[in-house]
Amino acid sequence: MGEPINDVALAHFLLTGGLLFVLGMIGFLIRRNLIIMFLCTELMFQGVAVTLVAFSKFHLDVSGQTFVIFVLTIAAAEAALALGLVVLLFRSKHTLDAEAWGELNG
Amino acid sequence: MSNLMVDKVATLWPEMVMLAGAVACLMTGLSSQASRRRTVVWIAAATLVIAGIIAAAGTAQATSGVGLAGMAKFIKVAVAAVGLLLLMLNTSSTSQEGVALMRDTPELGGEFFAFFLCSLTGVMLTAGADDLVWLFLALELTSLPTYVMVAMGRQKLEARESAVKYFFLGAMSAALFLYGFALLYGAAGSTQLADIHQYALDNPHDGLLMFGLVLAVVGICFKIAAVPMHFYAADVYQGAASPVTAFLAFVPKSAGFLALLLMLGIVGWPLPQPIAWLIAAIAVATMTVGNVLGLVQSNVKRVLAYSSIAHSGYMLLGVLIGPPGSAPGSGNSATSAIGNGVAAVLFYLLAYGFSTIAAFAVLACLRVENDEAQTYNDLAGLMQRRPALAAVMVVAALSLLGLPPMVGFLGKIYLFGSALTQGYVVLVVIAVLNSAISAGYYLPIAASCIFSKPMRDVQTIEAPGRQAGAVLAAILAVVLGFGGGKLVSSANDAGRVVKQKHADKVSQVDQEKQFTSQ
Repeated sequence: MGEPINDVALAHFLLTGGLLFVLGMIGFLIRRNLIIMFLCTELMFQGVAVTLVAFSKFHLDVSGQTFVIFVLTIAAAEAALALGLVVLLFRSKHTLDAEAWGELNG
Repeated sequence: MSNLMVDKVATLWPEMVMLAGAVACLMTGLSSQASRRRTVVWIAAATLVIAGIIAAAGTAQATSGVGLAGMAKFIKVAVAAVGLLLLMLNTSSTSQEGVALMRDTPELGGEFFAFFLCSLTGVMLTAGADDLVWLFLALELTSLPTYVMVAMGRQKLEARESAVKYFFLGAMSAALFLYGFALLYGAAGSTQLADIHQYALDNPHDGLLMFGLVLAVVGICFKIAAVPMHFYAADVYQGAASPVTAFLAFVPKSAGFLALLLMLGIVGWPLPQPIAWLIAAIAVATMTVGNVLGLVQSNVKRVLAYSSIAHSGYMLLGVLIGPPGSAPGSGNSATSAIGNGVAAVLFYLLAYGFSTIAAFAVLACLRVENDEAQTYNDLAGLMQRRPALAAVMVVAALSLLGLPPMVGFLGKIYLFGSALTQGYVVLVVIAVLNSAISAGYYLPIAASCIFSKPMRDVQTIEAPGRQAGAVLAAILAVVLGFGGGKLVSSANDAGRVVKQKHADKVSQVDQEKQFTSQ
């Protein structure tokens, strides 16, 4: 796997990953369009993937990169599920605005 | 190494059977003949029985340190058994009128039961996890099918809305605990839980590790419906079809608690101060929020959702205590499960599972004006119409409340008793006060079944599977309350192995004997 990356490079990668993750989380909390919200969770997953790869290179341990492959697989499965659910919702109420959904209330 | 791999695969026979059964259900569901399509339920049932028998006959897995190896067997058998009960709830009506009554509930196809089995497989895999990658995949295998089941189980706008809510928050929480896993990996340089445990022992004040652990715990709180990730529960439980709601109340919660035990096993018990405070705070907030909000609901499904939240709070006490021998003065005798927090959690999961399944089963049997029965008024006067179902509902409510002789009482004794032996007096007082508050909504459920006059035109679905499931769950809730000793001692054995670092041959043979003698 070549040379390990040094502390400074690791910090840069971790910052990138952390930034992606936090951006995704903020977007998830403030945006109300279902597709955008889903893309935000994808952004969070990609932030995790960057973090995992950086750590994998830092420790010279291949299992982190294996983990990323599985994370991507799950992300793909979730994408399929999300789009299916969004289409289902769009058919019954022609909007993607999360605010329009309020059937369930105590 | 390869030998280790073979050993590991050899413990996975129940899961392999479950997955094969899921594929068989999927294929049979595609058949063009309706009579063949209707056999999927039986295929699913046979799969669960076979997987349960294989799991019960299998040997306890050799433990590598922090894994739940000893628990895995107990969990797998329990999951197969409860899975059968849940399967009965998901059977549809056999009569024409029943089918007409359940217009919003589609005929569940092979894919529903395939997802059903996949999700249960996820819990089994969680119990055997010894690696972060494995644990992540097992948790996702548990969760992903449930999102689809919520959307498929009921053809109503509410079900779709709750499925979307459940999915989006689930994906967010998955990302949260995944980021925690990434940080744990980054700190320790290995995805093996045993290695991370070793690293945590060597570096008890590693900030990265602690931060990762906190993120993982908060993310997993979604699965057990604990504060701060609890707010979805009421909406999702209300929107999903009652049989699916029963599934949601038991299956993801079990996986979540197993994952939580695995995660905290990394730092070991007694937990380091900050983590212990975190868990205690979550426990108190969860039980209080659940019970107080439960009081103001008028929809029984929402009440049961808040009760599910509250029960997670109680169970977190057991998680806080951990396995025996972790603190001085803990009860370590072979017969008593008091003092063994892990065993208390395992037993309580089953106790709660049977009680809540009984309650949802009753709701699943009743219909009001083309909708599910779900308010107090719908239940009113059930005693005069359907005494058996009313009795089941009363048993379920009293068991959830924790009155003797129901199983919920026994579960609470073990949980609170264990917490007392470890000196968590304040927490136990809060938990008991909370149980008292919960009487404020469990007793009205029971009372409206018995004393109220019938208010609405409630019809019963002729679905033998559902009624049998309701009665069976209630019987189990009572019988286990009287004779749960055996289950407790096997839960105790299961909980004990978790701590055992290097199982030497002698004690392993000993455990084998204990397992076979039961």
